[in-house]
Amino acid sequence: MSAALRGRLLVGGALVAAVALVGIYLVAGGSSYAPAKTQDPCKHRPWRNPEGLEQIAEQFSFSALDGAACKLGVSRETLAQALVTPEGREHFMQRYGISDAELARAIRAGLLRAVDDAERAGALNPILAAPLRQTLRSIPLDRAIELINDAESLLEQAQSFLGPAQGLLEQFLP
Amino acid sequence: MTALAIAVGLVLADSSIVVLALPQIYRELDASVAGVTWVLISFNLVMALAAVPAAHLARRVGPGRAAAVGLAVFAGAGLACAASATLSTLIAARCVQALGGAAAVTAVLELLPATVGSERRATAIWATAGATGAALGPAVGGILTQLVSWQSIFLIQVPVALAAAVPILAVAKHEAATGVLPAELRRTGRPHLLANLALAMVSAAIAAALFLLVLLLIEGWRLTPIGAAIVVSAMPLAALLGSRLGRLVPSARARAAAGAILVSGGLGGLALLPKAEVALTVPPQVMVGIGLALVLSALTETALAGRAPQALHGGWTISARHAGVVIGLLALTPIFTADIAEQRQDAIDAGTAVILDSRVSPLLKIDLAQRIESRLEEEKGRVPTIGSAFDPLPSDVEERAAVVELRDELQEQLNRGATHAFSPSFALAAFLGLLALIPIGLARRVDL
Repeated sequence: MSAALRGRLLVGGALVAAVALVGIYLVAGGSSYAPAKTQDPCKHRPWRNPEGLEQIAEQFSFSALDGAACKLGVSRETLAQALVTPEGREHFMQRYGISDAELARAIRAGLLRAVDDAERAGALNPILAAPLRQTLRSIPLDRAIELINDAESLLEQAQSFLGPAQGLLEQFLP
Repeated sequence: MTALAIAVGLVLADSSIVVLALPQIYRELDASVAGVTWVLISFNLVMALAAVPAAHLARRVGPGRAAAVGLAVFAGAGLACAASATLSTLIAARCVQALGGAAAVTAVLELLPATVGSERRATAIWATAGATGAALGPAVGGILTQLVSWQSIFLIQVPVALAAAVPILAVAKHEAATGVLPAELRRTGRPHLLANLALAMVSAAIAAALFLLVLLLIEGWRLTPIGAAIVVSAMPLAALLGSRLGRLVPSARARAAAGAILVSGGLGGLALLPKAEVALTVPPQVMVGIGLALVLSALTETALAGRAPQALHGGWTISARHAGVVIGLLALTPIFTADIAEQRQDAIDAGTAVILDSRVSPLLKIDLAQRIESRLEEEKGRVPTIGSAFDPLPSDVEERAAVVELRDELQEQLNRGATHAFSPSFALAAFLGLLALIPIGLARRVDL
């Protein structure tokens, strides 16, 4: 075999090997191997069949997070991380340039969306939804954040709000 | 001849030997990722700047003396590197080490032809020793870092450098007795611009391959230094195969082109890893290893062929190679540090979504979220392992299964983030390797 032919074979072989490797890795999903994309919080997320107060509270919190995150233009996950600790919240507000009032408005809007979603999913009776909305429209920021983290207490509060009608409330909850 | 080859291999291994120790240096000396890369950049920058003046000096004072003194300085600075308690003193010692190394490597090229009998063979030995040293460096450094400490990398070089200097001292004594050739003698040809340009481009790509892969393995996939050393040893092993393959093809241009294509192909593969699995890095590494052996030796031979003095033209190739490494590191460091931060956040967001949507109870979710949050705090901006945040696992069988499923999915998201963060940098390095084909192609028509 001539020296020139050996040279051409070497270059050709290198080219084939390089293209084959890149091609195989592309076909195997190399271009899409990245963290999963988070869902747009402004899109409606269907409630999973909630069973009992704890599950309803969880779905309620998620809806509230989605609603607030949509209002603020961030992902549900970013907002959830921000609300775990007061320092996290401070850092988040600085990073996105959000004031206390804006955060409060967004979280209230989120909680109202959660009431709508709960009502739509049949998890909350309209009789209970109306006073809940009324309460949430003027709720202070810290309390609103507490409610997102622990919606169960909100639903329990709603029970005590109804007072003597508590037995009636339990009938509304599945 | 062995001592001379060891001297070249040792010095050129030093441009990459600390790669696997960087994460440990970064933690011990409390540095930033960008700061710790200067342990690598400083050595390569000084080598790039000092190689040509060092070659002139070798011609003036005699290659034997220059090589012996260079190795002694290299060894002394190695001791200073090992004793460094701060990043700035380590970087300063690395600069001195590079000065000694530049003198030794360029002078050795002047000594080799008389030792091995032919200039062509001397060039081949010099180029192969350099390529082997550069490829072996990270694996040796990783093993030493894990088994002993990062300081041992520098300490072990001291006796090796001094042992290589001993036979060279005899040449130095002979020079003292007979005098040195006048510097203007045997001056043939200007530096081979295209070959040196291609060397710089391809060296930038190879440096990126080594540096980024090591960071991916240790910082991204959390391998131990010795584990990473075993993984990256695929590259020098493949380089040995590449050297043998290169001997079958006389055309330096064909070897250089094939080498550059293989280096780029391998880097392209690393940019497109379809999963965070060590085995998947082996085929790209084999390709880069074969490619680097082919391209570095072919371009070095081309740059030196028919040119004199050899030390001076060798100095130009050393300068080009190390300038390429510096450019590669300087260009890619800001890109991948920004990508790591972005991907870390994406991975944490994806992980948060996994926790929120998981089957575990809401109370356990809140508890896990707090534990994971503190793990993230402990890791200070690095890609974390979160397994320990899940310990102890719940005793309830159903909940335990749900938690294990959640832990695995969460780790998968973090692995995806860590792997994806390196993709743009690997892709850019592959592009640099491909760019080297331009001067390689032009070299046929225009021989500067």
